[in-house]
Amino acid sequence: MAALPKRIIKETERLISDPVPGITAYPDEANLRAFTVTMNGPDSSPYEKGIFDLELYLPDDYPMCPPKVRFLTKIYHPNIDKLGRICLDVLKDNWSPALQIRTILLSIQALLASPNPDDPLANDVADDWKKDEPKAIEVAKEWTAKYAKAKE
Amino acid sequence: MSKIPRNFKLLEELEKGEKGLSAESISYGLSNQDDITMTHWNGTILGPPHSSHENRIYSLNIVCGEKYPDEPPKVNFLSKINLPCVDGEGNVVVSQFETLKNWKRSYSMETVLLELRKSMASTSNKKLVQPPEGSTYA
Repeated sequence: MAALPKRIIKETERLISDPVPGITAYPDEANLRAFTVTMNGPDSSPYEKGIFDLELYLPDDYPMCPPKVRFLTKIYHPNIDKLGRICLDVLKDNWSPALQIRTILLSIQALLASPNPDDPLANDVADDWKKDEPKAIEVAKEWTAKYAKAKE
Repeated sequence: MSKIPRNFKLLEELEKGEKGLSAESISYGLSNQDDITMTHWNGTILGPPHSSHENRIYSLNIVCGEKYPDEPPKVNFLSKINLPCVDGEGNVVVSQFETLKNWKRSYSMETVLLELRKSMASTSNKKLVQPPEGSTYA
């Protein structure tokens, strides 16, 4: 396999030595471009106290293209679909090589704190959200308690 | 080239299938829209013209196991077909089908479906007598 670019090595080292609060990201031993990520649900959000598993991959063209990220834990959120795919501008058209793995993970955490039902990926969830927000928040809380439990 | 992990490769394949960017003569998608493991897939092959498959649509099941794409998917026909690489229960036999036998990581479900279609259209297979249209295994 080709040598890992310096930039990825540096980002990885910093993710481990100076982690983002509430987020862990470790490279897989067999593939240093693939990361196992956990994210704590932000306080005062429906995802509070949940711990969510994600996976992240740096394609060959990184950092000219964004990392690929997806949730592995089921989550009820208007911008995240049933397969855990995330609708977030910085993961698509608004990506810039000045951004990093840590800034992307922070953006995802911010998305959990402020769902955006006007730019939905999961249409049924977004509709619920717009029709009856308090009820949608209740469902999001239930799913968090059911699927995003802290590991014993 | 780095090795793309299973799930991200399958997400790419899914996206290609969803956006209709794959070949017109085949299609594929997840059997269950919320299968987060992306293991079970449906495929279809439009019978190639100028063969006994013309105007028929064949349905298949594709299973991408945990070791996909290091290992090939398991493929079986749901629609009955008479083809040397397909056994009496509809399974595509790995040793009889080059694409699965000499599987490469760069292949995809699209490759498998297109190669099966090519086999259906090959000189030796295109005139094989086929089971009644619409009949299925099991």
